[in-house]
Amino acid sequence: MVHLELNKICKGFDHPVIDRLSLKVDKGEFFVIVGPSGIGKTTLLRCIAGLEKLDEGEIFIEGDNVTNVPPYNRNVAMTFESYALYPHMTVFENIANPLKALKKEDSLIRSRVYEIAELLHIDGLLERKPHEISGGQKQRTALGRTLAAHPRVFLLDEPISHLDAKIRAELRTQFHTLEALREVSTVYVTHDYAEALSLGDRIGVMGNGGLVQIGTAHEIYEKPNSLFVAQHLGQPSINSLEIDLIEEAEKPSAIAGSLKLPVDLNHWEHLKRKNITKCTLGIRPQFVKVVNGDQSSEDNSLELNGMVEVYEALGAYGVMITSVVGQKLTVLTDPEDKYDHDENIIIRIDPSTFNYFDLNNGVNLIP
Amino acid sequence: MTESNIKLIKIILLAFLLVWIVFTLFPLYFQLITSLKPVAEINAMVPTFWPETFRPGNYLGIFADPGSLKSLMDSLIVSISNTILSLLLGTLAGYALARYLKGIVGENLAFWILSNRMFPPVAVIIPMFFLFDATPWGTDSYVSLILLYLVFNLPLATWLMMVFFRDAPRELEEASYLDGYTPLKTFFKITLPLVFPGMISVAMLCWIFAWNEYLFANLLTGTTVKTFPVHIPSFTQGSQTLWNLVMAFSMVAMIPPVGMFIILRRYMVRGLSLGVVKG
Repeated sequence: MVHLELNKICKGFDHPVIDRLSLKVDKGEFFVIVGPSGIGKTTLLRCIAGLEKLDEGEIFIEGDNVTNVPPYNRNVAMTFESYALYPHMTVFENIANPLKALKKEDSLIRSRVYEIAELLHIDGLLERKPHEISGGQKQRTALGRTLAAHPRVFLLDEPISHLDAKIRAELRTQFHTLEALREVSTVYVTHDYAEALSLGDRIGVMGNGGLVQIGTAHEIYEKPNSLFVAQHLGQPSINSLEIDLIEEAEKPSAIAGSLKLPVDLNHWEHLKRKNITKCTLGIRPQFVKVVNGDQSSEDNSLELNGMVEVYEALGAYGVMITSVVGQKLTVLTDPEDKYDHDENIIIRIDPSTFNYFDLNNGVNLIP
Repeated sequence: MTESNIKLIKIILLAFLLVWIVFTLFPLYFQLITSLKPVAEINAMVPTFWPETFRPGNYLGIFADPGSLKSLMDSLIVSISNTILSLLLGTLAGYALARYLKGIVGENLAFWILSNRMFPPVAVIIPMFFLFDATPWGTDSYVSLILLYLVFNLPLATWLMMVFFRDAPRELEEASYLDGYTPLKTFFKITLPLVFPGMISVAMLCWIFAWNEYLFANLLTGTTVKTFPVHIPSFTQGSQTLWNLVMAFSMVAMIPPVGMFIILRRYMVRGLSLGVVKG
């Protein structure tokens, strides 16, 4: 059942930020919007909350048209990136504030605040003021205030981006298990693709004033519909090479400078049908493997000689930038392997994992 | 720099500080001892720096004139009323300027309001006299003096409150709207407590101006309403000014502002430094 619906909404300041954006979020759904900084993610949330007036379009919550309803009558809760905790109130008063606005009884307010504080592990801090608690605790207080009053929609604006890794992981787990979030619909904004992939039932990638792709984490990661999406989801970013496509003796190849790569036959069918001769080739660093001597396969058309330019060991994995006949490729490596600058290596590619994007508009050419 | 040089600089700085303290505290000291001297001693050719005879009775003497107490009461009425009005109107106007009037119109309007404080008061004294004379309550009334002081205090209060409101994070108000509070309730529940230290500073500045003002009070009022600065010259008998009574009365008149400053200085310092550091 559609719970939140945005119908061709437009919002601009001195330039258009959101341009005819439409979206339907179901009841109980956790929808994550991901995109680079400054693309208009926060503006979108502020429009849903009613803090920004729409230039055009309509917003429906549970079927009610709330386009012109002021924020205090929308029954929407939002966490701000800066937490926005009231500095003159204690943690208890901050969480209780939305309940007080609803004129609930004191005993009910107290029990609800204690319930939430316990859930978020801040029950020992209720008498403290915001300046007396840590960043993670502030974040939880802000979240507590959002959860307190049973709103119709949750809007979470980069709620864990400023926290250290440990608390971030802890809170991320909490988002999965919070019942309150599953009862209504949640729109969660982040610029961290890993957070998006981990949390979202569906993910919307924002760019150029709208959502350029909507889908599950798997769909968006495996089948990005454009180079923009491919570049913004995945760490390290996808390798992109401008290529010419040729066919010699029924063997299609992609040529980038002196680098020649085989093209998967399934892909080639699509590309050939569309008469594509030039395009952008996208290769995920995860799908490029470094071959150790004994693993060398017989089909060496899929193997290339490269030279290590930069190697960074990042704990769980390593990131290497390697030069393959003049082209730079980023490769993800196993954590136990070590590489030296200028070391010669062999990498193996898998053409079936390649993506091909239109040179002009960046659209993925393989459906 | 050698250690002896540092010591020398410290000594010079301390000496400078000592001179400064003498300069600032001596008038107060002289005011205090004069207020305790008998008339004969204040008229002595060679002034004494410690009273030969103590006359604490001077402090009772000033209240022998019923006008003294009334003038202090008049000053209190005028300055408190004026402060409340300045703060009330200045806060609302400052909020409107900070939140709703942005861009070139808002900036110019805000500057025009402040510029009202810049002209020399004496330049408008005659027009003001005729203006208030034409009102039903005339020149010699509380209302006239309160309104007149508003001309000077309101621009200052508006400007300062505007600056404090601009520094108060907008997001807190937005969070309050989403909690379910209307803009008016948000203003009283969230925004005002944020600028409260600033309001105390503004109140103090307005109150001190109204409490000490002499020029307008002397020219406009004097019979029905007589504030304490206007009352002080009445301690002159014939050709002789009773400096001991003048000083004793001034000491009494200093109590309210000094007392208030001591009680409120915590807010005063926070208010004046509000927005200097983000935190």
